[in-house]
Amino acid sequence: MPYVTVLLFVGGLTFRTVRWLSIPVPTKVVVTPAPVTWPGVFERMSLEVLGFRSLMKGGWKLWLGGWLFHILLGVTLLTHFINFFDYGLWNQLGYGWYEVAGYAGIAFASMVAFLLLRRIFLPGVRYVSKASDYGVLLLLFGIIILGDYTRTFGAVSVSAVSQYVYGLLTLQPTLPPNNTVFLLHLLLAQIFLMYLPFSKVSHLVGWVLAPTRNQRNDARALWHRNPWNPAVELEPYSSYAARYERELEELGPGGERR
Amino acid sequence: MKLDRNFAAQKYVLHPTRKKDMETMHLPFPRDWNPENLNLPQNWKEIALAKLDELRGKYRELQLFLDICVACGACADKCPFFIGTNDPHNMPVARQELLRSVYRRYFTTAGKLFHGLAGGRELDEDLIRQWYVYFYQCSQCRRCAVFCPYGIDTAVFTMAAREVMSAIGLTPRSLTESIAKCEIVGNHMGMQPAAMLNSISFAEQEIKEETGVDVHVPVNKKGAEVFFLVPSADYFGEPHWHTFKGYLKLFHRIGLDYTMSTYASEGGNFGTWLNYEHMKKLNRKITAEARRLGVKWILGGECGHMWRVLHSYMGTMNVNSDFLEEPVSPVTGTHFRIAQHSKTVHICEFTADLIRHEKIPLDPGKNKEFKVTFSDSCNPARFMGLIEEPRYILRNVCPNYVELDPSVNRERTICCTAGGGLLADETLPLRLRAIKPKIDAIRESQANFLALICAIDKAVYPEYLKHYDLPVQVGGVHELVSNALVMT
Repeated sequence: MPYVTVLLFVGGLTFRTVRWLSIPVPTKVVVTPAPVTWPGVFERMSLEVLGFRSLMKGGWKLWLGGWLFHILLGVTLLTHFINFFDYGLWNQLGYGWYEVAGYAGIAFASMVAFLLLRRIFLPGVRYVSKASDYGVLLLLFGIIILGDYTRTFGAVSVSAVSQYVYGLLTLQPTLPPNNTVFLLHLLLAQIFLMYLPFSKVSHLVGWVLAPTRNQRNDARALWHRNPWNPAVELEPYSSYAARYERELEELGPGGERR
Repeated sequence: MKLDRNFAAQKYVLHPTRKKDMETMHLPFPRDWNPENLNLPQNWKEIALAKLDELRGKYRELQLFLDICVACGACADKCPFFIGTNDPHNMPVARQELLRSVYRRYFTTAGKLFHGLAGGRELDEDLIRQWYVYFYQCSQCRRCAVFCPYGIDTAVFTMAAREVMSAIGLTPRSLTESIAKCEIVGNHMGMQPAAMLNSISFAEQEIKEETGVDVHVPVNKKGAEVFFLVPSADYFGEPHWHTFKGYLKLFHRIGLDYTMSTYASEGGNFGTWLNYEHMKKLNRKITAEARRLGVKWILGGECGHMWRVLHSYMGTMNVNSDFLEEPVSPVTGTHFRIAQHSKTVHICEFTADLIRHEKIPLDPGKNKEFKVTFSDSCNPARFMGLIEEPRYILRNVCPNYVELDPSVNRERTICCTAGGGLLADETLPLRLRAIKPKIDAIRESQANFLALICAIDKAVYPEYLKHYDLPVQVGGVHELVSNALVMT
């Protein structure tokens, strides 16, 4: 199953991205504050990706919730990688950091809960929420809680998981550690990864492709090509001038007022 | 999301296009219809779905934004129409959902299998009626896109939905009446060459009376250096008129070799709000006329959506590599490199450059009775990024200049709410509700003069301010330039 997961996750995301990129952007549609240079665009996108700058403009509550959620997601992923590949790093960093990572996992769950409660209790957000919006958050909540449980109550040793991951990577898969909570965590996480490319969670790639953000504001300075720019029929001046011949004469000879 | 026909904003519906105008413009399915009885062609559903499928293959932003919205709700309370009506479908995310749910139902696997459960919705006549209501309650001002974490722009959806609707014969009169006139006569108002000449002569006379100076306005003059383009309201509208005279005085003062045109007497482009084809067609008149007149570059007056097209679309739609010459100010020698491809310069860029080089004598004291504030218009602010130039001019021609509250200023502006084809009497109650946050900010600023750079702004603000009982004068930035300009 893990191989199928990876295949669907990577394949799905690649398919999505290629599909998006294969469609032309017919015109400039960049939204102010739009830089004119590529370094400017890079700076803008960095602030968006790292600081969620636009979200911050709308109000601090959702910004803080959303930003912490994604930061904690990053921390959690990082912790997983350390656990998988370089467990000894914790010894160098000190045990305190290992503890911090544990609390981060709990904070992560509470951020998901915040997003979920917001969806349920804010009337406007509830109105635009679909089954899948709740579904994704519930799925994430489940994954995190099970993960936190596995970690906190130490039912599964980190080295066992690490061995399992190495086995998968070296194409000599072994059975995962036999623990119900852990197996459930693993199963749900894989379901999430498989579902991700085909859902709104694909924003993790689509985000940086938004032409309203990643274009330069140079529509008048450089030619932007529209591959399907259609030809249009236009009444030529001669036929217009014939219709208004008398009126144009009032302007001056040849319809010109010099 | 349930659809309820009793929602607050349902009553503000634009009048339908007349059969006669549909025929003139070669719109599909010319017929009599109204929002209650759409009188759709039999195979409308197939046409609409085919059109939607075509569009998502033509616009990356559409396909992308259909896919990645997480419905976080950050946009919800940013739309002036939602603030004003509290109608849930005026939340940008819900407005998008009217289109996105159809996409899900017919073009995604989950939607095809599970329909409503996967967030899909059947495309039926009831839904199309909602489209006609809500996609014509979006002025495409893009305020939502400023606050969206992913930059999702509801205008992309609105434009797509309107394109789909126009393919099955649903277009509002507020747009098509003007487009039809523009295609035939040359401007949205239907002013024929003689009327335009009258208006220009009248402006010359008034300037003579006010300043004692003879100005002369060339029209259709071949070989002029600059083609000057304004929205047609400038020819007679109040308060547009004073700005128009301001341009003429300024050009006289600096001795600009320019011309106006009767064939392309309209800078504005109502086609923008209908579909790509009509936008391109109206814009094409301008480039064709610039070629015919043999000018070197184009100078555009104060207007909002006219500049959305000139800035963002014209270079792509209608400009070839051999089009005109790079604009150079004949007075200061400045190369407008920002416009080196489409050769089109905004009057505020042009005037700001003149002021910076101290090429025009100004007496700001002439404006000392005014406490001036500036309201950003959506298109110059959010499409062009033209934010500093008008402010720079105002600070130089007015002794008292104040900014509006940051929540509705610069790229966060709430504009006139009458763009996007909403400029019609039947939407006035809607617009009066939507504009309230801006009116509050104007009141708070204690200004007595509201400076604008958009023709629709100038047309609607006097009405709004009267309704809200706010004694503030409305005018263009170049009206204030005109006041301060020392004529000899």
